[in-house]
Amino acid sequence: MTVRVRGATKSFGRTTALDSVDLEAGPGVTGLLGPNGAGKTTLLRIVATVLAPDHGTVTLLGRDPSRPADRTRIRERLGYLPQDAGFHRGFTVFEFIDYVAILKEMTDRRSRHDEVRRVIALTGLESVSAKRIRALSGGMRRRVGLAQALLGDPDLLVLDEPTAGLDPEQRLRFREMISHAGEKRTGIMSSHQTEDITALCTRIAVIHQGRARFTGTPGELTAQASGRVWTDAQRSPVALAAWRTGDGTYRNVGDPPAGAELIPPTLEDAYLLLMGEPEREVSRS
Amino acid sequence: MTGWHLNPEAIRRYAEGAAPMELAASAEAHLMKCAECRDAISSSVDTRRAGAIWHEVVDRVDSPRRSVAERILVRLGVGEATARLVAATPTLRGPWLLAVAGVLAFAAWAAQVDDRFLAVFLVVAPLGPLAGVAVAFAGGLDPTREIGLATPYSGMRLLLIRTAAVLAVTVPIVAAAGLALPGTHWPAAAWLLPTAGLTCAALALTSRMTPVVAVGVVATAWVLATAPATLAGRPGFAVGAGAQVFWLAVAIGAGAWLAVTRNTITIKLGRSA
Repeated sequence: MTVRVRGATKSFGRTTALDSVDLEAGPGVTGLLGPNGAGKTTLLRIVATVLAPDHGTVTLLGRDPSRPADRTRIRERLGYLPQDAGFHRGFTVFEFIDYVAILKEMTDRRSRHDEVRRVIALTGLESVSAKRIRALSGGMRRRVGLAQALLGDPDLLVLDEPTAGLDPEQRLRFREMISHAGEKRTGIMSSHQTEDITALCTRIAVIHQGRARFTGTPGELTAQASGRVWTDAQRSPVALAAWRTGDGTYRNVGDPPAGAELIPPTLEDAYLLLMGEPEREVSRS
Repeated sequence: MTGWHLNPEAIRRYAEGAAPMELAASAEAHLMKCAECRDAISSSVDTRRAGAIWHEVVDRVDSPRRSVAERILVRLGVGEATARLVAATPTLRGPWLLAVAGVLAFAAWAAQVDDRFLAVFLVVAPLGPLAGVAVAFAGGLDPTREIGLATPYSGMRLLLIRTAAVLAVTVPIVAAAGLALPGTHWPAAAWLLPTAGLTCAALALTSRMTPVVAVGVVATAWVLATAPATLAGRPGFAVGAGAQVFWLAVAIGAGAWLAVTRNTITIKLGRSA
């Protein structure tokens, strides 16, 4: 496993952001799903070596990030897109990515510039590479963030809400880029968009109130909702959640009444059920 | 179309880059309009050498022009990568520098109006460069801080680069304000060694706390220790001969400690990992 987190606990003052969370991730994209404030960002910041847990052990790329020498080696093979990635807005796209490449210890100017051009091409930023970042749209800036994370072809890619704030077309384009990036490396991304998780991730962890409520594959989580989603002409009073769909019927999620017209669940149904149920940790292989 | 062609010897010498300048210029002019000679030379060209030349051309054409600040730094002998890091230092932006200059100009003006305010300048002067060091690492002012934290770049190196850049810009501002003081010009330089000592002490503390907190601790200690005596008309306690020796010793001691421990300590650039 590229990422192994055991019993990670992190508090900020009196707030416990993470409470004894386990996480394992290998090649492919692993998704962290959960509501805002669940602890996803704290967990990702630990995996990105930006934060250290108060308790628990972390092993990244076979090394211990609590040791300075190991931490530097990990960072050489790590790409990180924070949730609120900031930019030096006066820099052009090329200059900013070049700046991060310098921080990634790419010392030879020409090969560094080659690498900057490579990630600019990979993220479709060629046409704006000479533009100042302050002149770019939010979606383009997100691409710049992804481009800097891909510098040096990292073995571990940590992406915090990479599709947040993007329009549907940009999200699709981002999914393509993340999917491509996850083909030969370990990627961990957070999202509260179940569609992104379904489209991209081979494994998921559902984080809620600082605890891992589920770890397994998207299929395994979806299967938990099997037999618990039904359609009806009206909102069912026993449903945990229900909403009117495009064809005028109601999609109900919960414990169905006898004779209900069951339909195949989606990952979103299973996620809603998990969030609506009393806490119990579910882990699948 | 053309009536003559490059002979095999000219082709070989040109392809190897061994042709004299006049032959190379003539050959290039000819090759532009003669497909036959281009075909002939293509098999003689060292593809690795041609690739390297093309690579250099692309890099020259496609790389962005450095900013004015970066170009000045490179001219002064600073490496191009270091110049880019300095250009991104939050403290070196206009508004912050204007604020420092404004505070010091006000202190100098106050000293012109009333001699008693000279003491205030001596207490305030070292705080300008010190605050610059803190601002260079303040999380809210460095938009790329979190991205930077996840990179392998040495925290100690970044700390020293940014501190040197901040001092290089703020010390002349303080010195200029000092020259505007009334009477003798000794106060214009008396704050330099205290500033050096306080900065080195703050850098040494960054192995225990973040630069912002370290600067806060050092600056508070400086103000608490020197303000009462200075305002009571005894500036010698802060900037007299004995104090100058003390701050020189602090600067040397903290600098030596940083040099000795540079490979073993972890600079806490606001990171807790």
